[in-house]
Amino acid sequence: MAVVTVDGKDIEIGATERLNCIEVARRAGVEIPHYCWHPGLSVVASCRMCLIETGTRDPATGKVTMMPKLVPGCQTPAKDGTVIVTESALVKESRARVEEALLIDHPIDCPICDKAGECLLQDYHFEHGQAERRADIHAFHSRRRDVGPTVTLFVDRCIMCTRCVRFAREVSGTSELMVINRGAKEEIDVFPGFPLDNKLSGNVVDLCPVGALGDKDFLYQQRVWFLKREANVCGGCATGCSILTEHNQDSVYRLKPRENPHVNKWWMCDDGRYGWHHLHDSSRLLAAEHRSAAGATRQTIEWPAVVTRLRDDIKAAGSLAVAVSPMLTLEEAWMLCAVARSIDPHAFLAVGHVPTRGADESFPGGFTIRAEKCPNRLGVEAVLSLFDQPLHSWNDLVEHVRAGRATAAWITAGHPEPWIDATTAAPFADLKCLVVQDLFDSPLAQLATWRLPAAGFAERAGTWVNAGHRAQSFEQAIRAPAGVWPEGRLFWNMLGRRGLYDPVAVRQQIAESSAALAALAGEMPATGVDLRLQQLAGA
Amino acid sequence: MPPFTPVLLEAVGIPNGHTLASYRARGGYAPLEQILREKQPVDVVEMVKASGLRGRGGAGFSTGLKWSFLPKDHPGPIYLCINADESEPGTFNNRILMEDDPHQVIEGIILAAYATRATTAYLYLRCEYPQSWDRLQGAIDEAYAAGYLGNAIKGSSFSLNLYLHKGAAAYICGEETGLIESLEGKRAWPRIKPPFPAVEGLFRKPTVVNNIETMACVAQIARRGIDWFRSIGVPADPANPRDPGSYGPKLYCLSGHVERPGCYEAPLGITARQLINEYGGGVWKGRRAKAAIPGGISMGLLTEAELDTPLDFAGPGRVGCLGLGTAAVVVIDETVSIVDFLHNSCRFFAHESCGQCTPCREGTAWSLRMLERIKAGKGRLKDLDLLAEIGNTMGMMPGSTICGLADGAAWPIKNAIKKFRGEFEDYIKTTNPTGWMVTEPVPALQIVGAH
Amino acid sequence: MIAPKRILTDAILTDAMIAEIEALAPRYPNRQALTLPALHIVNDALRHVPLQAVVEIAAVLGLAPAEVQDTLSFYAFFPQDKPAGEVRAWVCRSISCALRGGEEVLEHLCHVAGIEPGGTTTDGSLTIEPAECLGACDFAPCMLAGKELHKNLTLESAADFVRTTQQQSARL
Repeated sequence: MAVVTVDGKDIEIGATERLNCIEVARRAGVEIPHYCWHPGLSVVASCRMCLIETGTRDPATGKVTMMPKLVPGCQTPAKDGTVIVTESALVKESRARVEEALLIDHPIDCPICDKAGECLLQDYHFEHGQAERRADIHAFHSRRRDVGPTVTLFVDRCIMCTRCVRFAREVSGTSELMVINRGAKEEIDVFPGFPLDNKLSGNVVDLCPVGALGDKDFLYQQRVWFLKREANVCGGCATGCSILTEHNQDSVYRLKPRENPHVNKWWMCDDGRYGWHHLHDSSRLLAAEHRSAAGATRQTIEWPAVVTRLRDDIKAAGSLAVAVSPMLTLEEAWMLCAVARSIDPHAFLAVGHVPTRGADESFPGGFTIRAEKCPNRLGVEAVLSLFDQPLHSWNDLVEHVRAGRATAAWITAGHPEPWIDATTAAPFADLKCLVVQDLFDSPLAQLATWRLPAAGFAERAGTWVNAGHRAQSFEQAIRAPAGVWPEGRLFWNMLGRRGLYDPVAVRQQIAESSAALAALAGEMPATGVDLRLQQLAGA
Repeated sequence: MPPFTPVLLEAVGIPNGHTLASYRARGGYAPLEQILREKQPVDVVEMVKASGLRGRGGAGFSTGLKWSFLPKDHPGPIYLCINADESEPGTFNNRILMEDDPHQVIEGIILAAYATRATTAYLYLRCEYPQSWDRLQGAIDEAYAAGYLGNAIKGSSFSLNLYLHKGAAAYICGEETGLIESLEGKRAWPRIKPPFPAVEGLFRKPTVVNNIETMACVAQIARRGIDWFRSIGVPADPANPRDPGSYGPKLYCLSGHVERPGCYEAPLGITARQLINEYGGGVWKGRRAKAAIPGGISMGLLTEAELDTPLDFAGPGRVGCLGLGTAAVVVIDETVSIVDFLHNSCRFFAHESCGQCTPCREGTAWSLRMLERIKAGKGRLKDLDLLAEIGNTMGMMPGSTICGLADGAAWPIKNAIKKFRGEFEDYIKTTNPTGWMVTEPVPALQIVGAH
Repeated sequence: MIAPKRILTDAILTDAMIAEIEALAPRYPNRQALTLPALHIVNDALRHVPLQAVVEIAAVLGLAPAEVQDTLSFYAFFPQDKPAGEVRAWVCRSISCALRGGEEVLEHLCHVAGIEPGGTTTDGSLTIEPAECLGACDFAPCMLAGKELHKNLTLESAADFVRTTQQQSARL
């Protein structure tokens, strides 16, 4: 064990841990302000905001010898005996001076800058800056420059922390961003004709400590102090990045990555980041509809009636086939299987359609976008294994229907993109009862007896299992549109459970019923659990 | 005092002194051949350490000690960079060495590479020295042809390639890690330390960066011996165990308001007044000096009364200057406004600041803007306080910046305002009679562009 | 990142320039170190390094264009928009030259040439730029024009230089 002293308080760190002073101070509850340092990027120590006093304590005598000059906390390792001082006059003056220096030529943009409310320059000025301006007054607003299709740059707000340039060189490996000129005339830019246009572009906006880089998608849409945020998981692919869904009044405004060292570290891809607009697409299915025969008009059915009539219709139709979508949570998948088997004890259970696009894409900084564009195939397979061996795939189900072995089918989907064509849907036309539960209309939904709306990723709470076998539980961020019962609520009621749908209770039940999924029991850590480790431990 | 017989400048004035034939006739390369035959690299390190040679580039760090920081059993490659980016205003001795005696420099380089077990040496030469480039390349070609460079030098197992690498007019490339970054093809933003270049330098390999004049000294130490070198200059103060002394001859550049600007070789430790009067023909036009820069503009200012300061590694520091620097003395006569001096200095550093770290990037720009406003007749006394504060807080020494350019920018400000405050105050009050007393911020002068 | 050496039929980098760059490659353990030498080679030939040339240099070196441009723009030595004059005159403005009339010489040079500092004469013969210390303080005030160092300039010798340069250019 190693002991580091932070502002007079001793804290222990692991003997083999390699931490800088910022990281160690954080463990002591002390936040050392900084702009340019980021744990996912190389250390440059150029902003000079993290300057602190350090020293060493002699283990034998306890005597503390302080270094005569300030050092950057980001580049100074904390070892056994390191003494860190963040509250001295020297440190406070240094911080005030760095703030003053950054503000000398900073445009007066707060009223028109997206970053207000989450801007480090603002925050540190308030906490560490001086009250009055001393430099000549130079009021101006920032020039704006496009750096790519999704990111815009307000040139003069930049404080030259170079996080964005380092990201493009080290993490995405695409090197589109550069610094131009020298000295106080330096600016960020892209080479003409080579815009910032890679699958991880949006991360530079997260990294920018000020309002220089902005998401075009979010620009001027909402003031950040109105946004609420929930810990979510991205539903865009099997990587399953931990994210924050930021919303107000049931509208999503943006998604941000949430730190998860096991999955996405600090990043997310642009497809996921900007892939929430389908939630508010006006062409979403918004009501439970039934038609008695092909060609008849659809009637909107009230949900309490759906709960009983759906069961009756399926039972009357005979043998049931169910596609359990990899967009569903573990809890929803399990309940669906239970509902299906309670109607038809021999119901054919299969994994729903698994959308795939392209190939897995890996980046130099260690991030991967998966070709499998759904978040929970492994989870759905694990749930199906509790009911049946062997597993049936979507193709197996289509074949099952085509061969006439089913007279009823319940197809859950919930895909933001079109996923089925008329040819693949055709065999489902002969079914006595076809239930399709999806976000948007489709050739399959056109054939449905029961056409039910699905919930979007931000409208459900539950658990997904990503490609790395990591189960992550997440909160519901926004309510589904009026008229939509999310799948979880419908299945819960069809199981005859009382009260509001409680995904935690369902997860607990799943954990207790299976050794393979025992790790799901109890409180789930924010960064999820690795199901395989628990399985090895239990074996 | 009797004039010092030039050693480093022995080739100046000799026809074709820059050629291999001339250098060999003067005794050159024989020391190298003997050392390759009889000595090990560690012997050369010890020789240079024992000589007391301190780097001539400005920092004055013990050369032998710097070499000894290299890791002992590194598989290599180890690189030697020679810093010929000489850009410190007032300094031109490296230019003369390269133009007039390139082989002296080259022999020193080969010895340094042998000592440090470097296998490739890059001589980073500023692009403003085309004559030096031609002379050096010519000498390098001669050296290769004569077997002093390349494989198995003079039958030894030591091989060395020496390449010239041209800079592109940036002062910060004279900072050793700025030079390294520039050589690697990037913008010359100095690196944070640790790691130090001896451990992780050029191309992330162990690297030593040495100055041109230092290399020439190494060649002369090898030829004339440690005792000779230590017989010149100012010995270490016996009362101060941490004083390494100021040994050897030094090339002093003298320019500005003197009768005979030029580069003069003298023992370390002559005073500024001796340099001006005995070598430079005195202050020009019969005038008096108001001030003098002691060692390149970064070192600050000596007042006329301080001209008796010895120009060794310790002297200038005793009168509040940053140090000996490049030992380039620039004389400013009594007709010059100190405001103009400081404006020239601030303009230089604002232009040359690499821009990487906040205090230097913004501090150099801010101080230039204040000087421009003062010169435009809109200065305030408050500006002097702000300038003094910038001068006192910006730099590697207080720890606020990554490299010493900021210290170099700060010292002229500090010295000028401290030593000539009265003149600044008079100027401000005279040129801004209605506004000199204002303490609130005033509108900035028209700025072209956002910055 | 290996890229084809000639991308366009009307490329700016000639085979000779590329050969000159490649000849230096064995000196360095990586390609990025060829950046400054490559910029000098192109600038020496064309008196500027246009954006298209940056793209081509980047392709030869296996770098992104932004990486080469980042380096280029740091130095303020390489014009990009149009070629510098046939003669590029750097007039020192640092302390030793300023003390001996360097600012006045610069002003007079520009006045005689009819341009602003940093500008190029309309006949393309001469560019005059302020420079920081040229390391020729023994000959202050001084100016570096091409490879030639002009020493101890006076207003007269400065005016002579401008006239001679423009005459020589007209003769060519």
